[in-house]
Amino acid sequence: MIELKDVSTIYDNSIALDGVDLQVKQGEFVSLVGPSGAGKSTLLRLLTRELIPNKGEVTLDGVNLAELSLNDLPYLRRKIGMVFQDFKLLSSKNAFENVAFALEVCGVSKEEAAEDVPKVLAIVGLSDKIKNFPHQMSGGEKQRLAIARALIHRPKIILADEPTGNLDPVNSYDVVKLLMKINELGTTVILATHDREIVNAVGKRVISMENGKIVRDQVVNGKYVI
Amino acid sequence: MKESAKRIFQSGWINFKRNSYLSMGTTGVMVLVLLLFSGLMAVNYLSSQVVSSLQGKVDVSVYFKNEATEADILMVKKDLEDLSEVKLVEYISKDQALGDFKEKHAGDALVQESLAELDYNPLQASLNVKAQTSSQYASVVGFLEANKFRSIVDKINFYENEEVIKKIERIYNGVQNWGFIATMALALVAVLVTFNTIRLTIYNQKQEIEIMRLVGGSNWHIKAPYLVEGGLYGALAASIAAVVFYPALIFVSPKAETLMPGVGLISYFVSNMFQFLGMLFFIGILLGVASSFIAIRKFLRV
Repeated sequence: MIELKDVSTIYDNSIALDGVDLQVKQGEFVSLVGPSGAGKSTLLRLLTRELIPNKGEVTLDGVNLAELSLNDLPYLRRKIGMVFQDFKLLSSKNAFENVAFALEVCGVSKEEAAEDVPKVLAIVGLSDKIKNFPHQMSGGEKQRLAIARALIHRPKIILADEPTGNLDPVNSYDVVKLLMKINELGTTVILATHDREIVNAVGKRVISMENGKIVRDQVVNGKYVI
Repeated sequence: MKESAKRIFQSGWINFKRNSYLSMGTTGVMVLVLLLFSGLMAVNYLSSQVVSSLQGKVDVSVYFKNEATEADILMVKKDLEDLSEVKLVEYISKDQALGDFKEKHAGDALVQESLAELDYNPLQASLNVKAQTSSQYASVVGFLEANKFRSIVDKINFYENEEVIKKIERIYNGVQNWGFIATMALALVAVLVTFNTIRLTIYNQKQEIEIMRLVGGSNWHIKAPYLVEGGLYGALAASIAAVVFYPALIFVSPKAETLMPGVGLISYFVSNMFQFLGMLFFIGILLGVASSFIAIRKFLRV
């Protein structure tokens, strides 16, 4: 489903990814671990085609992302839900509006949004916070709201870039449990993190990165090892 | 589709409202451009009216020597009438010229007494020639100069009028050219101001745009609200310019009519109101949308 072949990315003469080869199958849960600057975020940005590799090929469902036209890019991004450490929520919009916004900018009608958004908020356990604004929510709730927004297009893949970075251990665990639940429903999840406890608790495939290279790939019951 | 268009227009309107001070400044500059353009149109109309009324008054008068017979003059008239450039030729005999002169100076005792003292008619027979267009007088004069009856022609008085017409045309062209340059310069300022306003809006909404991008918002959904915002600046500016311009016409029109009788500035702009307003809105919206388009191309990454 996702395939990187000999991918290298260079930022201003510094190598962010160096000859990475990777395959991720549909429905996998992959923890991408490594210290800051290892290349985890760069790898995720290649998958959303925010970046194009300087060398190599990134394919999704057999489509080379570098060859996608600007008009096709939104359709790729609707297949992928993104979750970030800093949540990236709109402070002027409440929980419902933050999720509905993701539908509206894709041309979905208000009626359809009014039907779908409460369902997704229920999945992430925020039914009672539907009218709350981000500043009225805890960090864990904000992250669950961000996950709800990522889920609204029923994506095939969820990319989570340090989603627990701003959360306490209890909330972190809640968020990861939610990601695992989403994965059980068939969505591929790629979780970039450097939280050892979380990775060890998940116990799925773990890919370790260092200096832009994949140094270890534990396919079953992986542990955080650097 | 309808839902998308509604959302795009709503977002554009919200952007416009949110930056109220910036919006006012941008609209103000656009109003100035559109007023200058409207003023230029008014000046254009006035000068074209003056030129065409002067051109209507222009003719070539051919004065014949006293020894020229009426038959000879009528032969010249016939030759002139055969020319395609000539619209009308009017023969004024010596007697008719004297009659006209007396009538014109009926109240002037000195002129009347002087004429009475003379025992002959001092005025010359003449032909008044009107060409189809003012540019054809030169060829009519050329024809007369080369005519076989040239020896009985005393003088042709076209050259003085030609100079006046040329002078007016020069002024007219000068006003048009400088007015056009001034309008273009101000339009460029308006484009720069609108461009910067849209740029600031894009900067202020950096996070919103980033999220739109990441959730798969279509390029059109991300960009179009800024085009709408630019268009709204133009439309509002056109409305204000129209509201200022028409009352100003009420004030200026009588003054223009004193200087140039018969030139109805206000009636011209009222009878062509729909075309004029259409043009004003078209230019305003075009300026706004074009400026937004440049800003989007430069600063909005999707």
